[in-house]
Amino acid sequence: MQISEGCNNGPCLASSISQWSQWQLLDSLLPTGGFAHSFGLEAAVQSHLVSNPDQLKTFIIHVLENTGSLLLPFVHSASVAPNLETWHHLDKILDATLTNEVSRKASISQGSALMRVGSAVFSEIPSLKTMRNASLGSGTVSFHHAPIFGLICGSLGLDSTDSQRAYMFITMRDVISAATRLNLIGPLGAAVLQHQLAPNAEVILEKWKNRDVDDACQVAPLLDTVQGCHGYLFSRLFSS
Amino acid sequence: MGKEEEDKEMEMGSIVVEKVGGRSSVVHCFSRYPLKFIIPKKVGSSRTDAVWVYALNYGGGIVSGDQILCKFSLGDCCTMVLTTQGSTKVYKSVASKCSRQILEARVGSDALLAIIPDPVTCFSTARYYQKQVFNVSSNSNLVIVDWITSGRHESGEKWDFDLYRSVNNIFLEDGQPLFLDTMLLEKEKIGCIHELVQDYQVIAMILLAGPKLQYVQNLMQDKVKGIMSEQLQHPSGALSNQRNEAGYLISKPSFMASCSVFGTKKTSLVVRVAAMTTESVYKFLQKQLAPLESMLGMAPYR
Repeated sequence: MQISEGCNNGPCLASSISQWSQWQLLDSLLPTGGFAHSFGLEAAVQSHLVSNPDQLKTFIIHVLENTGSLLLPFVHSASVAPNLETWHHLDKILDATLTNEVSRKASISQGSALMRVGSAVFSEIPSLKTMRNASLGSGTVSFHHAPIFGLICGSLGLDSTDSQRAYMFITMRDVISAATRLNLIGPLGAAVLQHQLAPNAEVILEKWKNRDVDDACQVAPLLDTVQGCHGYLFSRLFSS
Repeated sequence: MGKEEEDKEMEMGSIVVEKVGGRSSVVHCFSRYPLKFIIPKKVGSSRTDAVWVYALNYGGGIVSGDQILCKFSLGDCCTMVLTTQGSTKVYKSVASKCSRQILEARVGSDALLAIIPDPVTCFSTARYYQKQVFNVSSNSNLVIVDWITSGRHESGEKWDFDLYRSVNNIFLEDGQPLFLDTMLLEKEKIGCIHELVQDYQVIAMILLAGPKLQYVQNLMQDKVKGIMSEQLQHPSGALSNQRNEAGYLISKPSFMASCSVFGTKKTSLVVRVAAMTTESVYKFLQKQLAPLESMLGMAPYR
């Protein structure tokens, strides 16, 4: 099979095929249930912390900042060592680190879905399925999102920086999607905003990438508090 | 320098509490400048079995570059309270030095350790790192209040410090992490801290863990749910129709809190608070921690 004129060996084909996998991993079409979570946006709106487009933009930046400081270390460590032992270790640490019950539950539900989908879809990486099966029913693995995301990226051959950038990308994608479903912004406005915030997200990535999980920290206490209020909302669209 | 040697250099205080004659007693107490412990002979009711320790910093606060390490050991079934006589002031940083205050505590089985200080106040340009590590048994009990105010707001200093990093880590007997929390507010990394906390002047964390505190946890959860349910209204649709006639944004709650359960058996609770006044948090703590009087001999934050 000819891919292109200049391409005459395996690695070239492999890297083109892996692009398809990488794009599929980041596509919102992948059924991982990311859209059940608003990252505290719904609670922020109902408590009047976010009342206008500027505040929405600031809120999203704070979510990205906190994702960088708290979760990128887990994506990074998992992507450079995509094996069972590392995954379990990171999962345990993250479970103790996600002290916010709302975000902890969201992480577990997204992580479980991602592992199930990933092991079924990326069948060329049979270790995903074996790792998943070995961990289900063990009672000690929570299936948190960030380590699993890093694990899959690393298994797909993404380097650590790209894995962390990808995590920032899907976080931004999901918060903005939540904003449209909350009717805070229209679909076109959302797309414009997403593009406008890409440089911010890149700066945040540079600031927080490649850190150790021992250094994981929260930088947005208000966000943490308001996100925890999700359970008190009288009527809600999102699970968190 | 190895960790042990570093620790010895930095160790400013240590206290060991054990049961002697059936009562929680201080069997070892050491402190050196700039730290001082005051242990009153009697606090509150003499029927209660609890040791109260007041920690003071000479000079009334933490001076740039201070490195303070304290180690506490609480024997099985003992009760100890660690508190302050006033808010901990962290003075401005000189030559970018960072002050450090580290607490390591070992809490025995069925024991109760309550850390109920006044808040930390970091002055303009201050750099402060606080770390509290607790090694506990599965049925140990902990009350931890860790809070910070925005600064000397009368002088207009609001969130004007350079660095505040607070770590609270809890490990079980086998070394398993139960709670790993680090909050970082750093001007250099985040830019304007004020933007992250908006009009809130106080950020607080209250942690309640252990079987003896189930009742207090339940009361706390009900109270917070009650406060917040009142504040949170039905969604009103699109943005920018949430201004009143004068064009001002409808105000955010002046006191916001949320609770999270954690731990494998869900026997622990962490409460996060953001408030616009220090007074409102004192009131909240007074009320919600009042049931601890029977265990501690005196209600916290009176």
